[in-house]
Amino acid sequence: MWIPVAGLPPRLTLSSLVGAGRFCFLGAGAATRKPLQARNRRGLSDSAPQLCPDPDFRKSPSRVKSKSTLDFSRYITSRRLAETMAQLVRGKEKKPSHLFLECNPGPGILTQALLEVGAKVVALESDKTFLPHLESLGKNLDGKLRVIYCDFFRMDPKGTGAIKPPAMASQDLFQTLGLEVVPWKAGIPLKVIGALPIRSERKILWKLIHNLYSCTSIYKYGRIELNVLIYEKEFQKLMADPGNPDLYQVLSVLWQVACDIKVLHKELLEPSQEKLYFIQITPYRNLFTDNLTPMSYQVFIHMVKHCFGKRKCRLIDHLRSLTPLDAKDILRQIGKKKEDKVTNLYPQDFKQLFETIQSSKDYAYKWLYDDRLEGSTAEFCIFRSKNLH
Amino acid sequence: MPSRLRAPLHSGSCSSGGSLPASASLCGRRRPRSYNFRQPGRTHAQARAAAAAAAAAAAAPEVSCAMAVLWGRGAARFGRGLWPCGRPGLPAEEGTLGGLCGPRRSSSASPREDRRKDWGHVELLEVLQARVRQLQAESVSEVTVNRVDVARLPEHGSGDGGCQPPTKVQPGAQGTPSGLFVQWAKRLDKDKQIQQKRRQRLEKQLQKRAQNPGFSTDAKRLHVEPRLLSKQLTTCLQGCTQEVAESPWEEQLAQVLQEAPRKLSLDKKLGQRLKTRFANRQQKILAFLKCCLLTGHQSLAHHLLVTHHSRGRSQELLTLDMYNTVMLGWAQQGAFRELLYVFIMVKDAGFSPDLVSYAAALQCMGRQDQDVATIKRCLEQMSQEGLKLQEIFTAVPLCKEERAAVLRAVLKAKPTFKLPERPLSPVNNSKLLRDVYAKDGPVSYPKLHLPLDTLWDLFKQQLRVELASTVCVKSVEKPVAQSKEVRRAALQALPAQGESFMGLARDLGARTFSRHEVQRQQFSGQVEALKRHYRQYLHLLAADTEVPEPYLPRQYWEALGVSEPPQEQPWPLPVQVELGRLLAEILVQATKMPSNLAKPRNSSRLVPLLYHVYSFRNVYQIGFLKPHPAYVQLLATAAEPTVTFEAVDVPMLCPPLPWTSPHTGAFLLNPTKLMRAVDGTMHHQRLLENCPPAALHGALDTLTQLGNCAWRVNGRVLDLVLELFQDKGCPKLSVPAPPSEVAAPHEAPLPSSTGLVDKAELRRELARSLKESREMHSLRADALYRLSLADHLRNCVFWLPHNMDFRGRTYPCPPHFNHLGNDLARALLEFAQGCPLGPHGLDWLKIHVVNLTGLKKREPLQVRHAFAEEVMDDILDSADNPMTGRKWWMGSEEPWQTLACCMEIAKAVRTSDPAAYISHLPVHQDGSCNGLQHYAALGRDSVGAASVNLEPSDVPQDVYSDVAAQVEVFRRQDARRGSRVAQVLEGFVTRKVVKQTVMTVVYGVTRFGGRLQIEKRLREMSDFPQEFLWDASHYLVRQVFKSLQEMFSGSRAIQHWLTESARLISHMGSAVEWVTPLGIPIIQPYHQEVKVKGGRGLQSVSYSVNADSSLKPNKLKQRNGFPPNFIHSLDSTHMMLTALHCYREGLTFVSVHDCFWTHAAHVPIMNQVCREQFVRLHSQPILQELSSFLVSRFCCSSRPQKLSQRLDDSKLRETLLAVPKPGAFDLERVKHSTFFFS
Repeated sequence: MWIPVAGLPPRLTLSSLVGAGRFCFLGAGAATRKPLQARNRRGLSDSAPQLCPDPDFRKSPSRVKSKSTLDFSRYITSRRLAETMAQLVRGKEKKPSHLFLECNPGPGILTQALLEVGAKVVALESDKTFLPHLESLGKNLDGKLRVIYCDFFRMDPKGTGAIKPPAMASQDLFQTLGLEVVPWKAGIPLKVIGALPIRSERKILWKLIHNLYSCTSIYKYGRIELNVLIYEKEFQKLMADPGNPDLYQVLSVLWQVACDIKVLHKELLEPSQEKLYFIQITPYRNLFTDNLTPMSYQVFIHMVKHCFGKRKCRLIDHLRSLTPLDAKDILRQIGKKKEDKVTNLYPQDFKQLFETIQSSKDYAYKWLYDDRLEGSTAEFCIFRSKNLH
Repeated sequence: MPSRLRAPLHSGSCSSGGSLPASASLCGRRRPRSYNFRQPGRTHAQARAAAAAAAAAAAAPEVSCAMAVLWGRGAARFGRGLWPCGRPGLPAEEGTLGGLCGPRRSSSASPREDRRKDWGHVELLEVLQARVRQLQAESVSEVTVNRVDVARLPEHGSGDGGCQPPTKVQPGAQGTPSGLFVQWAKRLDKDKQIQQKRRQRLEKQLQKRAQNPGFSTDAKRLHVEPRLLSKQLTTCLQGCTQEVAESPWEEQLAQVLQEAPRKLSLDKKLGQRLKTRFANRQQKILAFLKCCLLTGHQSLAHHLLVTHHSRGRSQELLTLDMYNTVMLGWAQQGAFRELLYVFIMVKDAGFSPDLVSYAAALQCMGRQDQDVATIKRCLEQMSQEGLKLQEIFTAVPLCKEERAAVLRAVLKAKPTFKLPERPLSPVNNSKLLRDVYAKDGPVSYPKLHLPLDTLWDLFKQQLRVELASTVCVKSVEKPVAQSKEVRRAALQALPAQGESFMGLARDLGARTFSRHEVQRQQFSGQVEALKRHYRQYLHLLAADTEVPEPYLPRQYWEALGVSEPPQEQPWPLPVQVELGRLLAEILVQATKMPSNLAKPRNSSRLVPLLYHVYSFRNVYQIGFLKPHPAYVQLLATAAEPTVTFEAVDVPMLCPPLPWTSPHTGAFLLNPTKLMRAVDGTMHHQRLLENCPPAALHGALDTLTQLGNCAWRVNGRVLDLVLELFQDKGCPKLSVPAPPSEVAAPHEAPLPSSTGLVDKAELRRELARSLKESREMHSLRADALYRLSLADHLRNCVFWLPHNMDFRGRTYPCPPHFNHLGNDLARALLEFAQGCPLGPHGLDWLKIHVVNLTGLKKREPLQVRHAFAEEVMDDILDSADNPMTGRKWWMGSEEPWQTLACCMEIAKAVRTSDPAAYISHLPVHQDGSCNGLQHYAALGRDSVGAASVNLEPSDVPQDVYSDVAAQVEVFRRQDARRGSRVAQVLEGFVTRKVVKQTVMTVVYGVTRFGGRLQIEKRLREMSDFPQEFLWDASHYLVRQVFKSLQEMFSGSRAIQHWLTESARLISHMGSAVEWVTPLGIPIIQPYHQEVKVKGGRGLQSVSYSVNADSSLKPNKLKQRNGFPPNFIHSLDSTHMMLTALHCYREGLTFVSVHDCFWTHAAHVPIMNQVCREQFVRLHSQPILQELSSFLVSRFCCSSRPQKLSQRLDDSKLRETLLAVPKPGAFDLERVKHSTFFFS
């Protein structure tokens, strides 16, 4: 449950942290742009233990200021929710066998819940303020908790130059954790748990899906499962299909083609009446085929983007801009009609369409797509520019 | 007004089958009457399409056929562009016309929302109208049926509130409850089908007609007679139509003409606003009218004028220029009656006819051999309006034949009339230019080395080139195999990854315009006149002819009595883009290739060659045209043996036309702007046209002179470069390698066992190598163009016409091959005209070669000379065995120029008398940190002046080292105080680290940018602790700025003052303007851009418009741009002064901004002139003049109303008047400084 729901009296034990101003608590923070103003309304749950007796926020103000409104994190502070989540990810197993990477645990409520169900947790915290406290959580746990200063959502920033913490290279992280590459067809190497950053849900989703299709960054190490909290609005878009064409978009297609998405839990945020979904995203074992590979995925993404660029157009018109092959012929092969529009196609249809074209034997040139047209992986640029200083 | 009311509703002209509700609401609108339906048949849309096709045909002959077809289809679309429907007019007018405009107009209360609907509307309307005409032509009975329909329909319309929006016209409009509506919906469906059929039929017919090349519009089907707003004029008009055409002129018109123009009551402010809002559309209409006249569609132009005129709102769009244009068209044909109609319309619209109008009238009378009385009336009227007859011959641009016609008419009425004497052109009386234009004193303007006949032949060649519009140049790429494919230039230039649709559209539009311009001149007989004048002009330049007294080229051209050709405004950007878009679409539709190139031609089906695809950049979606990959492959293997250039992209083969005005000069036929600007920017041109002609003389003469320098290709260097180029290239010597040299991307099929991760890795590698090869390719293509052109011009003499940017800096117009290029390009060029070395020339060559190597930068000239003697062996070896010898030249900073110079030296020293050796090699003199020189001179900074060599000194000073030393002083202080960064930086503060920042500070680099520069330098140093990069660069940039502040205190104060002034000016909402000491008006073209989106079809295009002067300035750019731009305007002034004075001395002079070139023998003279002019320039009270100009321009003369405005105003005035005080440096000392320019 979220703090406002818990209705707990505002405690000022953490006010020093709030004063640092760089995080907001789920719910209230989502509703307001000014976390500082909202300070007194907010509290933390009972079970929040004493944190960082001497938070050194004198060092950080300038840094904090620069990113204040841009870089919110959601922290789970409700004990009940944390426990529910921990139960859910444990599933039927008695003790979760997977390693959990927890993104931005903040005060560590969920961390604790996870530890309690017996999971091995690596806490990736991007705010130094929380580090000492998190470390203290794992004191007597025999190495079941590792705390690393790292921002999961800024993993592998694009661009040259040294990576400044908390951004981190996935390679370094996995090396520190001593994890090996797990083949795609094999099981799930580890699970990620956390909340998507409020303001950059879409950016993160784009970044992750690119990494997934290209088998880079964290997905280099296998089919990593995501267990994340996501807002309803974004979730609906993610799950949209021709049934609700207004929400249907590129991301929906790409994610649904790539992953099995399950809703584990819904949570209502009291003040704003917004819904949060706790979802599990597991990449399909059979995502990659002879035709769709990390070599050719860009063409696939381009194709989908192209189609949704003019979503009201007929598919046949798009095909004429996508491939020099005979559009009618392709339509026939995938069993679509001439009048079918882009929004009539289910995500899997797009994959089929792609594979049909990609596997056509007769022609040397299957696509008009050209890597050079693309501003390479332009989507990632936004992540690079976030380097502080 | 009343006449409008009384005019019967000509219903037949409005609706077709007439059962569409939309048309019902449209029907209420009154359309201009068309009286003369004697021979109906042709329709609006048809006629418009026809003219458009014809116009396009004239503009771009090679696409005309395809155009015609498409115009047929897109006729309505084009019409829409011209049809000023749903445009908000004057509010005042709206009030008066409200009752007249019918239900539709009153319904569109918010025109902005409605506009898009309106467009659809109009399209429909036009088809309907077209259909009506057609029906009228086919059977009368049908028309009567229509009438009944129309009469009935408005009732429905009014029942619906009379404002049924056209969107609802679509079938199945959102669940209309009423039964009537259901019925309507059904009818709608049916009607739509019928409509479609009709449309198809129409299209077919249109195509048929459009394809018929020899068709011409029949005037009678178009509106000829105007419908007038003024009652009085209408009666007069009625008189006109009833009687024979000639008589009314005498009787009614005299009284008509005396009427005061009605429109003067127009609110001035409102008019201003209207002007800016309509400017684009007006240009569009004007361009259309001119195109019509050019293609012989006078009647269509007339029709457009009439239809616009008779509608209150669109009449506001019409300008006197438009009426005059149409009148001129009639005058050329001698159609007096139609001319008369237009004349009446002019009066009716409230304009008072000007000289051009009367000239047209007189011309027409001259052609028609009108009787004396009429002419007399006309002349009388003219003098009553205060217009002088003489001025027709001086102020109105007329071609020879037109002039003769006018004169004929005038002589008939006034047999004693004598043509006025040509007025003397005004003389520039700027203080700085007094010497240049002085009539007394020694003048030895240089002549070309070529005789008249040769030059004349060259001219004819160039004329041929420009008439053909393109030049095919043999490619220097080594041919691989020959192919017989025929390709179009546009296609060939398309890179494999495609070309952005917008860019292509722009390009095509612009090219169409310049072709149109060339043809226009051909048709209007200007080419013949040009030939005549040019031949005479050559007498001034040729080696074997004499002119009676010394003239500058411009003066001579003006003295020849060349009448200015009528000035042609380029089509506004939207028109160009729209046209280009259309052409690009045709290209996509028309070009096909066999789907399988391997199979024989006829066995495989045809697939499009070009594809319209999208690329995604972040949130943007960019449309591209991309060639079929197989085609790209084909092109690559075929290795096209020729490269095609636009005529304006190739250097000229004869001396360029002298610049005589802001729009005439440079190329013979292709229009060239005096001041180059971003597409669609009009500010500069407007400013230039509005300033007194004499003020521009300095700039015009400089540009003419720079363009008159004859060039030739250095054949030996070219041979060497070509050898390298056709072999493997040599990136070190900036000869790019062929694409085959790049590691070919891994394309072999992967073994199936390849893991996913490996594939991902491979993909990235592939992308990397693709990127690399693309970069290589563009470098290669650039070199290919340059070298092909050089090879093409190998044995020719050629000229590089010049124009300038908005600050007055001069540039050669041909982009690929000019002396502004890189080292390689410069080495390929030399003066076509040689000059004996003279006693000291060889020394200068030697110093020059050392300068080029960059080895002895901080040594005096004697040492450089001595060094050249020392390495003479190497120099000679380089010249003799450039590729096989010791390759001394390759180690130089500018290797190719060094090599060229080595060769020249070798040739010179090996002649018996080096002093008599004819040298063609340009020798350079470079300003040392020229921007800072100007700052230091402005601020009279002693320290600064010394460090940029304004102060005489034995060894050249180096400002970068000085700054580095100063920074080091600060650093040591800080280090002693315990600053960690300062301590870390010990030993790293070098010249190299600070150089770029110091250099760019003058050009407005900020601390932010400066820090990045320094960070980059520090990063390059391997031993610098990288963790300190940020802190150290931050620290250093502060120290550099502080040091500069210390050394150039006066300059920094000036820079600050300029910045602050610009900030306040842009805060007041204006763009910063000033006038250079030579008198060139300058405006900073930085405005907040407005994105305009338009066009349908393949894709919508959006472009930013920067042209409107009413746009708000971009404050940041205005502020940051002012100091560097101002300094640039000064350095360009200095260059121009030097150029003009050198010309008077008879020198060959060209410049690359702050690097001046001349013959070795003339270096001392040029150096002297250069210093003298610098001193003269800065002896002027430049800043005071700037200050007073800005005050007069931007400070309100009257007290502003609002308090905030008043505060702003007083603050601005205060700032502007606080001109920084200069220091104590004595400017005269520059004259003795050896290294000022060296």
